[in-house]
Amino acid sequence: MERTDDRLREQRLFSVTAGSPLDPMAMIRSALDQWEKLANEHGAQFLQRPETTKALQSMTAGYLQMQAMVHDTMGKALAAANLPSRKDVEALSARLGAIEASLARIEAGRNPQTNSGALPRPPRTRKPPPRS
Amino acid sequence: MSEEAGLLERSRREFERALQRNIKGLGYFNSPAPVVGASAKDVLIERGTLRLYHYRPLADEIYRVPVLLVMATTNRGYIFDLTPGQSLVEYLLMRGYDVFMIDWEAPRPDEKSLDMASYVLDFIPTCVARVKQTTGEPEVSVLGYCFGGVLSLLWAALHPDAGLKNLATFTTPVDFKQMPLFATWSDKRYFDVDRLVDTLGNCPSEMLYSSFDALRPASRVAANLRLADRMWDDEFVKAHRMIDRWGTDILPLAGEYFRDTTKKLLWDNALMAGTMEVAGRPVDLANITAPFLHVTAEHDHIVPTAASAPLIDMVGSADKEQVTLKGGHVSLIGGPNAVRRMWPKLDDWLAEKSL
Repeated sequence: MERTDDRLREQRLFSVTAGSPLDPMAMIRSALDQWEKLANEHGAQFLQRPETTKALQSMTAGYLQMQAMVHDTMGKALAAANLPSRKDVEALSARLGAIEASLARIEAGRNPQTNSGALPRPPRTRKPPPRS
Repeated sequence: MSEEAGLLERSRREFERALQRNIKGLGYFNSPAPVVGASAKDVLIERGTLRLYHYRPLADEIYRVPVLLVMATTNRGYIFDLTPGQSLVEYLLMRGYDVFMIDWEAPRPDEKSLDMASYVLDFIPTCVARVKQTTGEPEVSVLGYCFGGVLSLLWAALHPDAGLKNLATFTTPVDFKQMPLFATWSDKRYFDVDRLVDTLGNCPSEMLYSSFDALRPASRVAANLRLADRMWDDEFVKAHRMIDRWGTDILPLAGEYFRDTTKKLLWDNALMAGTMEVAGRPVDLANITAPFLHVTAEHDHIVPTAASAPLIDMVGSADKEQVTLKGGHVSLIGGPNAVRRMWPKLDDWLAEKSL
């Protein structure tokens, strides 16, 4: 209760003095709001230009090309070292996932009321409150 | 005199706040992240990227028809369950709904082969079947948020006999040409989605995060400046940390699913063109006949009104309604004012339809 009173007092003081022309903090906050609005508008206009998109996607294409080269190089190095590649690990992960899915199906088939189904639930008889 | 007293009081207050900023500012970097998504739940399905949760009831009596929340694939479902007192899940549970949620984890590298069909023809039907099996009820109400709404619409249109009792979507786009920044950035002349998916597999979360951030390029800086200014305000800081955590907790997207979404929705705008298909099965939203509610946000910077406005006319339901409420894309669902705006509207609409 005391905390609520303190907060209300703070808010009253904030609102009473915030609009005062002598409140530099309020001016700074207002300036921040306006800067954000303008910067977002100008930023959106800039980013929506086709030239901007072309430039950004060119950078993405460059990054992807570099990634592909690194994949190839690493793949060859791993093969030479007789170590599993990323593809091998992904295949293992896929097989594990398939095994997990099979286990889940088996468990669900053996015990349909697993997990929350086994917990007692309230009766499904609720009606909406009368409209006022 | 009173002006001088006001000036003195203001100066005193600002000095106190400056002290608090320093003290609490140091504590901010040492303190643990706020706990989110803490409503008690059971995990019914845990399969790769897919999770189905069933929340423990908070009422002594519940509505017959269960509710299945469908989260967007780019973010975590705890926006529905931020914190006690600011949780749609808690709100629904306390009002007697039996609540389930489809949530997502980051897809593994080998899940890059998951496509749109995986979500619409496998994940959602599997979860709906599990909800029906768990509750013993033949019908389910589905509530989809953002792209979770798109997936829900596609599923509903392709499964007219699946027992859909009610369908609600929140800030769900259908006209992707009306999302100008996303449409520009994915321009097929410059954006080679095939190369991206073939090289990287899943679409990295960093790329998606940058895209969302770039919708309001100055807002992150402004938000941090406001945080520094309000560091003395514990409630403000807690609220900021929760929303900031969720906003940065972006998930990667499964490769083929990202390719499908880009080509069919961003490039072809297939829902508006009437050419949408999933695994060769044509999608017609007019097949949806269950009672339908679409809620949009007045200040939605991610899904502008024009991008979601056509939806209400595309759905075939006789009982359908669209409302626009104050708020943004995220605050509509999980902001502190949602408890006065969207949630009661949803409850008011859904309660009598859940018998």
